[in-house]
Amino acid sequence: MLVFIIKRLAAGVILLLAVSLVAFTLLYIGGGDIARRLLGENATAEVVAQKAQELGLDKPFFAQYFDWLSGAIRGDLGNSWFTSQAVAVDLSSRLPVTLSIVVGAVVLAAIVSVVLGVLAATRGGWIDAVVQFISVIGFSIPNFLIALALVIVFAINLGWFNATGYVTFATSPAGWVASVTLPIIALSLATIATVTQQIRGSVIDAMSRDYVRTLQTRGLSPRIVVLQHVLRNAGGPALAVLAVQFIGLLGGAIVIEQIFALPGIGQLTVQATTLGDIPVVMGVVMITAIIAVIVNLAIDLAQAALNPKVRLS
Amino acid sequence: MFRWKLAAAGVVVGALALTGCAGGGSSEPTADAGGLGEKLTIVGTLSPTSLDAATAGWGNASPFYQAVYDTLLLATPDGTIEPFLASEWSYNEDNTELTLTLRDDVTFSDGSALTSEVVKTNLERFKAGTSPDASFLRNLDTVETPDETTVVLKLSAPDPGMLSYLTRDPGLIASGEAIAADPEGLATDPIGSGPYILDTDKTVTGTSYVYSKNDEYWNPDVQHYEELVINVIPDPTAALNAIKSGEANGVRLANNQNLAEVEAAGWTINAGEINQFGLLLLDRAGTLNPALGEVKVRQAINHAFDREALLTALQKDAGVVNEQTFPPRSAAFDEALNDTYPYDPEKAKELLAEAGYPDGFVLEMPSTASVGTTTFNLITQQLADIGITAQFVDAGNNYVSDILAAKYAAAWIGLEQTGDWQITQFMIAPTATFNPFHYEDDTVNGLLEEMQLGDQDAQDAAAAELNEYILDQAWFAWWYRPQNSYATDANTQVEMLPTNNYPAIYDFQPKN
Repeated sequence: MLVFIIKRLAAGVILLLAVSLVAFTLLYIGGGDIARRLLGENATAEVVAQKAQELGLDKPFFAQYFDWLSGAIRGDLGNSWFTSQAVAVDLSSRLPVTLSIVVGAVVLAAIVSVVLGVLAATRGGWIDAVVQFISVIGFSIPNFLIALALVIVFAINLGWFNATGYVTFATSPAGWVASVTLPIIALSLATIATVTQQIRGSVIDAMSRDYVRTLQTRGLSPRIVVLQHVLRNAGGPALAVLAVQFIGLLGGAIVIEQIFALPGIGQLTVQATTLGDIPVVMGVVMITAIIAVIVNLAIDLAQAALNPKVRLS
Repeated sequence: MFRWKLAAAGVVVGALALTGCAGGGSSEPTADAGGLGEKLTIVGTLSPTSLDAATAGWGNASPFYQAVYDTLLLATPDGTIEPFLASEWSYNEDNTELTLTLRDDVTFSDGSALTSEVVKTNLERFKAGTSPDASFLRNLDTVETPDETTVVLKLSAPDPGMLSYLTRDPGLIASGEAIAADPEGLATDPIGSGPYILDTDKTVTGTSYVYSKNDEYWNPDVQHYEELVINVIPDPTAALNAIKSGEANGVRLANNQNLAEVEAAGWTINAGEINQFGLLLLDRAGTLNPALGEVKVRQAINHAFDREALLTALQKDAGVVNEQTFPPRSAAFDEALNDTYPYDPEKAKELLAEAGYPDGFVLEMPSTASVGTTTFNLITQQLADIGITAQFVDAGNNYVSDILAAKYAAAWIGLEQTGDWQITQFMIAPTATFNPFHYEDDTVNGLLEEMQLGDQDAQDAAAAELNEYILDQAWFAWWYRPQNSYATDANTQVEMLPTNNYPAIYDFQPKN
């Protein structure tokens, strides 16, 4: 097991290097006149040139990349060109915001999906039809439309939750709940739709197996058969889907953070990418890649914990 | 047996109870016993690139700096310049020396005092730095400090804009001790003498800036709140939601598309004017596009635009149609000049024929998705009506830099209408930023010299003549001055500045 983890981490480092080079190349090609964008239309050409030199934008591509890489290896991701804030400080203050809504969305999606998926698979009939309908809604309506509808109804009209902004848990647990509830709901619906269908299908498949019939003939209640046996076997594929969804939600949070003005990684990414703030975009890319590597490893370990066959392979 | 349904119901009820305790997002400022509001929450559309006074910008970024720094002079809502850190000022006979007398009762938040040496350091840093407005101090040669409260700015040439520059970013003064100890730290931890102090623990750079009242401030008359919060919300929909849910007291509206909704939410729209929109006809010598070298072609383009219709389509009538370069508050402005180019496609075609272009010509201009497609579609349509084919090239994020690199003979843009001299240096002079082809004209050069060297009456007369001349020569095809809309809630009042996009921090007050 330890060898497995070490091999996966080593592969992760190579992946991070490759991702950093590709991302830097794309940013370099698409950058345009960053110094002009930074200073705006009032600045003279001389000041713009001075700023470009200050930021190292007059250096060749590989010189700029290796400047960044040598700093990143030492843990110095540089400073934002557009806010002067250290990138590491920015990321460390914003990552908890994004993770709180993404993890919240994944947890909510996991709980709701299990409930709906199991209900649909075991009860069938009109319950199954309703769950299918909910899944279609979750697939087809973009999450930003759902977010806007939630804001209008629950924040503006009813005043139950915040329309904009983020309150840290340490400042006020109640304020934190008020600020993350609507974003979490908006972000989770598409995932609920996907994972519900996955669980429904896996449970139906598992329920048709011989071991289930054997357990039922031994007098075990349907609840225990499903919760203690069927879900364990059906859970593997659903976990894999949830892992993919988690990575996807990190990107999907961008739109939600814009709508709710949440100071997370997503909002930072939009601003930085639009402006060409290369140090910040590179920091976001690397942190996302690191999270993806860790999450994939964690899911593999969880799969092994659930299913002994995976451990042997 | 574990009752799942009961547990789920309990979680939901608990969450709703917690949100009830959260108290929503009300931002009502309530006055304390001293008449101060508790908290003012305002919304901006962008965050400052750095909080260091030496690299400061202005416009929409001004409140971030004004909160923590003072300027040497003060721009007021009625358009005058008043003392601030400098209690008096005077020019010498030929306007090449500006002497400022500083207040002697000002301390910075780190306890250090304001002296002439501190002002000198700040001015020199600004001039040598990379502020977008660093060129405002281009005529500043040296700064002398004969005593602790006297600063003499020695200019290489008269600069009619200098006093107004000192009311904004070039005039921001940071602590000398902080500059000496940690100049880079000022970017995120500014140390000034201003009405508020940045709370770096509560501030999230790029998103929310929290300031607390400076209890040692020398000018408590302009402090109206205990706490100031500036939230950055670039998305117009999110900003509108902040208004409707009462999560702010003041919001600068990015456009005029939702004024009715804002008023329906019980807010007040405070209207000002600061920008003007239209076409820059840059290639007046015909270098890139020979047609634009003909004054009759440029005049024809002016006649092609139905300014009233454009104002309705693009700004929902929030604004004023306009043809001239200098704003109404300028002595150069003449309302009668706004009838120089009435909408007249037939007249435009006649002028094109007289100029040798009876069948029109192709005019290449930049476009950008960031302002949508309507503006460029309308330009295409209105120019097509007189025979000119507008070809738009997507410049994306390089829209402004491509224009300034003289890649296009003409371009659509919105620009700030500032003071008279600033306008000439920004758009008209051969070295102006928005004169990328460096077009020169003897008449213009002569009038610029009169503006620079003459007394106030001579400056005003030269500006008026310049305004009329460049309108007659059709250097631009201005459309309108859009309304600059600033929304305030029922508990807040504000006065707009004629010289800036964003109201001054000092001009926000609780409505009691």
